Amino acid sequence: MAAPLLLLAPALVLLPIALALPGLLHGGGWDLVGQFLLAAVRPSRDPLVLASALQGLAVTAGMALLGWAASLLLGLLLGLASSRTLWHTLAGTPWPAQLLRRLLAIPRAIHELIWGLLLLQVLGLQPAVAVLAIAIPFGALVARVVSDLLDALPTTGLEALRAGGAPGPAALLTALGPPLLPGVISYGGYRLECALRSATLLGVFGLGGLGTDLKLTLQSLQFDELWTGLWLLLALMLLLEAGIALLRRRWGMPQRLGLASGGVGRSGRELLLALLLLIPLVLAVARGLEVNPLALLHWQPLPPLPAGGWGVALALPWPGLVGNTLLLTLLAAGLAVGLAPLLLLLVAPWPWGRLLLQLAWALGRLWPPPLTALLLLLVLQPGVVTAALALGFHNLGILGRLLLEASEAAGPERQQALASAGAGPRLALLYGRFSGLARSYLAYGAYRADVILRETVVVGLVGAAGLGSQLLETLSAFAWDQLLALLAVYALLTLLGEDLSDRARRRLLASA
Amino acid sequence: MLAGLGLALLPAALPSLPSGAPGPLPAARAQQKAPQKLLRISAIPDQKPEKLNRLYPLVANELSRQLGVPVKYVPVTDYTAAVTAFRTGDLDLVWFGGLTGVQARLQKPGARVLAQRDIDASFHSIFIANAKSGLKPITGVQGLSQLKGRRFTFGSESSTSGRLMPEYFLGKAGVKTSDFRGGTAGFSGSHDATIALVASGAYDAGAVNEQVWRASLHDGKAKRDKVIAIWKTPGYQDYHWIAQPDLDQRFGKGFTARLKGAILSWRPSNPEQKQILGLFGAQQFTGADAKAYGQIEQVGRQIGKIR
Repeated sequence: MAAPLLLLAPALVLLPIALALPGLLHGGGWDLVGQFLLAAVRPSRDPLVLASALQGLAVTAGMALLGWAASLLLGLLLGLASSRTLWHTLAGTPWPAQLLRRLLAIPRAIHELIWGLLLLQVLGLQPAVAVLAIAIPFGALVARVVSDLLDALPTTGLEALRAGGAPGPAALLTALGPPLLPGVISYGGYRLECALRSATLLGVFGLGGLGTDLKLTLQSLQFDELWTGLWLLLALMLLLEAGIALLRRRWGMPQRLGLASGGVGRSGRELLLALLLLIPLVLAVARGLEVNPLALLHWQPLPPLPAGGWGVALALPWPGLVGNTLLLTLLAAGLAVGLAPLLLLLVAPWPWGRLLLQLAWALGRLWPPPLTALLLLLVLQPGVVTAALALGFHNLGILGRLLLEASEAAGPERQQALASAGAGPRLALLYGRFSGLARSYLAYGAYRADVILRETVVVGLVGAAGLGSQLLETLSAFAWDQLLALLAVYALLTLLGEDLSDRARRRLLASA
Repeated sequence: MLAGLGLALLPAALPSLPSGAPGPLPAARAQQKAPQKLLRISAIPDQKPEKLNRLYPLVANELSRQLGVPVKYVPVTDYTAAVTAFRTGDLDLVWFGGLTGVQARLQKPGARVLAQRDIDASFHSIFIANAKSGLKPITGVQGLSQLKGRRFTFGSESSTSGRLMPEYFLGKAGVKTSDFRGGTAGFSGSHDATIALVASGAYDAGAVNEQVWRASLHDGKAKRDKVIAIWKTPGYQDYHWIAQPDLDQRFGKGFTARLKGAILSWRPSNPEQKQILGLFGAQQFTGADAKAYGQIEQVGRQIGKIR
């Protein structure tokens, strides 16, 4: 019976935040917040603004699609290459897989925003930069998931085929191909949603598309124009999410937090058709965006290393930077993981409450955290808590939707039984649906905390005095030595975080 | 379904960024020659995008008319991106601030300083305050110490008039950025945003470029009952036009000199040029000397924006 309460434990982080909040409010800026909210119901419908927002949206969607497609290709290849089963079958030894896995941890540990800003320095201002910035870290993530899925599959079929004299590659394809597919496709669909969010974020930092418009309109306080872009982006995001959910159900793919996974999809032909349609689409989008793969070979020299040597990099206030970054991660993760079930319980008695919650979460997923942070600064002082609120709100949108989907898939029987036995709607939801999900949800939360650590860089402009703010300041001073040192520390922290969250996840799932 | 959505959006996906190197696709091939003949101009985004989008296409038209080459305005979203795009050769002629110009020239040896406005040889920052903040106008730099413990915002991180020189003068009054309330200063991103944020009370005070401040007072965007000027800094060198070192090779001998001559020739007597000069807040452009930016470079090094 501890499980459902365990689910709410991360929400304890609300207490210190609630205590700190009144001190952070500075009294000014409510005017602007009012104007911002008012503009939501009357966005600009000026044809020029609409046309520019649509064009920005098309560029963002295009960058997301290309980055996603490239990351799948890259991830599938690298995933196969880092599979222990594969190396064992083909070469008799698993160690190259181990080595590759460790190497892939590095591109994964660096956020797509940093990839984007670094690539901008060597490749110049071109659309391929955003595509590549998404493809590299996403590709490394997909590779890890593919190799994990592959190595977790039972190998009895494979061994039988090998014993029967089938050659290695054929045996691998026959025995492992079909069972691997549903997991890969389900995860691939999820990555496309992530790619859309990332492409928007990259735009906020000047890499083109709608994100750029959003940032500029917010900075010049043109809220009506800002909302035109936001509503369009929301429509695209919801369409995409609904489309992916539909395909997932239709093809019998597992839910992301699902407890049972379906068999191989019945619609193999549809799948093949979708894949075939994807290829010309990707090529057409690449042409429309003028993404030129050959331009990637055209490297620019980096600016000269500044004077002062490594001593300047070492003189940064490292303990404070690292400490603030970790604090920011903990607060944001606690907010996101803890608030999702808490809010669902709070609105459980009212059906419209849940609808409002879903809309708020959709906006949370949609808004790039730096934009939320800029808005929060209108009424709050800069600092770790403000940054954590922005980051927490974004991740709450992602976790909340996941929890809602999973709890709907869990079936109503237990909840109805509890409700008819006289339990209130909140208790019935908590004990009827949430308790069965608690461990897998928290395990996913552990993974999310790891993602949040990587994401702390994007709220650097709130001046949270963490590694993120320092990194942005260093970039604008073109101080390469400091930048390298900061990246190394960031990567190291993320790798440690990944290890910790892996352990937490394994423990949670093992005791489920 | 996804495919349909993507295709529906495709016609709107017009190219919005300049394409770099040659490529195999027909679209890319058409662009291949363009960088040779096309003069790409840009500017640090120090003001509202609408204003930049009104001003720089006018500049592009006028230069194209005078020089007989196609000229395209390429917007960038932040100061750092402008410096980077200049270094990577994606921009040919850029309207830089004092600091970004020095950064760009240090990163691209041989880059040419072409011109500055009549107002740039002695440019000023204005410290502004929310009218209800209780902050009072001051007469000397030492008066800035009243900003300790207040919420303060700069403009862009790399702005000369909105960050570099204000931080320098604050330092002279013994105010460090960690002395502000919240332990750090904000970065609003642009001068217009600083004025709006201080007027709304989100920040008690801020520092902006004098020319943008005057323009905001003039067009009524800044209201004196909401936001007041409390101090004007001594003068320093600021904005300047900087060109790539290789324009003569690409556009023909003497092109850089013709380009400079074209900018210096703008006068209020010509209606198009009058509009451009008006948006720049200047009477005319004058020659500029790279050496004059020594103070900016020195302050940049002191504050850590140049190393």
